[in-house]
Amino acid sequence: MHLAWLELRDFRSYESLDFRPDPGVNVLVGHNGAGKTNVLEAIGYLSALRSFRGSPDAALIRSGTPAGIVRGGFERESGEVRVEVEIPEGGRRRVLFNGKRPQRFSDVARELPLVAFLPDDLDLLKGGPGGRRQYIDDLIARLHPAAGADLAEYDKALRQRNSLLRNEGPAADALTIDVWDDRLADLGSRVFTHRLRLLDRIAPVLAASYRTVGGSEELTFTYTTQWMGAAGKGTSRDPGDHIDAIRDALSARRMRDLDQKTTTLGPHRDDPGIRIDDRDARTQASQGEQRSAALGLRIAAYRALENRHDRPPMLLLDDVFSELDPLRAGGVLELLPKGQVFVTTARDDEVPVAGRRWAVRGGVVT
Amino acid sequence: MFEAPVQRLIDELARLPGIGRKSAQRLAFHLLHIEEADAVRLGSSIIDLRREVRLCSRCFNVTSDEECSICRDLRRDPTVLCVVERAQDIPVIEGTQEFSGRYHVLGGAISPIEGIGPDQLRMRELVARIDQEGVAEVIAATNPTVEGDATALYLARLLKPLGVRVTQLASGLPVGGDLDYADEVTLGRALVGRQEL
Repeated sequence: MHLAWLELRDFRSYESLDFRPDPGVNVLVGHNGAGKTNVLEAIGYLSALRSFRGSPDAALIRSGTPAGIVRGGFERESGEVRVEVEIPEGGRRRVLFNGKRPQRFSDVARELPLVAFLPDDLDLLKGGPGGRRQYIDDLIARLHPAAGADLAEYDKALRQRNSLLRNEGPAADALTIDVWDDRLADLGSRVFTHRLRLLDRIAPVLAASYRTVGGSEELTFTYTTQWMGAAGKGTSRDPGDHIDAIRDALSARRMRDLDQKTTTLGPHRDDPGIRIDDRDARTQASQGEQRSAALGLRIAAYRALENRHDRPPMLLLDDVFSELDPLRAGGVLELLPKGQVFVTTARDDEVPVAGRRWAVRGGVVT
Repeated sequence: MFEAPVQRLIDELARLPGIGRKSAQRLAFHLLHIEEADAVRLGSSIIDLRREVRLCSRCFNVTSDEECSICRDLRRDPTVLCVVERAQDIPVIEGTQEFSGRYHVLGGAISPIEGIGPDQLRMRELVARIDQEGVAEVIAATNPTVEGDATALYLARLLKPLGVRVTQLASGLPVGGDLDYADEVTLGRALVGRQEL
């Protein structure tokens, strides 16, 4: 599968762009601020339906214009898959998948497997747990549709409970909070076990990926919660087994939640971590180890998607080679020849791979 | 911009659910060309709707009398109540011919984000009916959404202490379809809720 065409209207810095990339390797060369990453962000948006930079939709609209539009056509053996998104200023975005509104946004992500390597990936190791949860949840949604729906429902139920706490505070109706606790416990137990099972599944892939980028240490996942302590090998993976623990913890925290007007505990606050040998990768690893582990995480995601779909996912490499030594770059390059790839760089000679070169300058890609 | 009367109609039509700007324009120009008698009939049926239709004093279904035809039907079983979010859910369940009890329309589902709590729904009226009508079972026929499920749970927590049996509609596969056409989430839920044969 590959992106055959991309159209942008008033998206980020682009007033108008019609881009027909090569089905193989595409290297976008341009100065900082020329708009290279915006093109990658648009491609990523067509699959994930959100910005890989974590930007809100409103930030994607070219300033001073009423709406931004991203459209793209992906070619597959079975024909063209088309995704079209219109993002109006201050309104609801409109998403069309093959001309129809998709039932769920995760349906689009699943049909269009894609992995992005970003300059900020080191934050997966150095940063807080949010980025790691996002990494795991994103893979779950891409690999396992029913599980992805559970994640989305947990998120909805959480927003409802938080809204109740925020609007009503200590005056909130106890029976109504009980009901949201029940929903959060039920869905949260599913989210928790989906995550553990995902980590089980990609742990060996991560260990192997880490070795391809020069790591020799043992890499393992950890998973810490505030409601049951640390999860491990012996923790049940049955979604029915943690409902009571989450519900009890929520009710023990009720006073504090009412006071702070938000849900202070649950899978949305869990902390997935990584250990390198027996050290915490966040605080006790060298910069080099962290960089290798971050690459390892992205490569593992790539391998997992490749396995699921029996074909290589699309690959976005946003300015990653400038930071990599030849050994680590080699681990990333191993992925390259198979599927469609988009690479951005400020210096053409930094990208050690053949492929179609595109110059990005003044809002034009040639 | 169109002539004022046309634009006014377009604006009104565009406020209806499921109708965007384009459809509103198409409808407005269609209405521009219909017979005057048809236009009068359409207009007066909208006005009559407001004048003649009201809510059933018992179950809050739409009716033109004090009570709706279902509540007045003495053959219906008063001990089973089917609780729905909206009145338009009633004909759907009636269409199954599988239900012979009465209904109760809540007027929505619990959704704190939209400012809807139990007090904004017809919960008090429901509790009052339990005693008055000798209700033994309440079927929560709310939508299979986060809000609908929460509302069903609320009904259970509210009514079980009163000795009422509370059940919820099962979720599963569409009947008569092929498995490979079922969407993966529905199929996944059906798998989790599988039954012993």
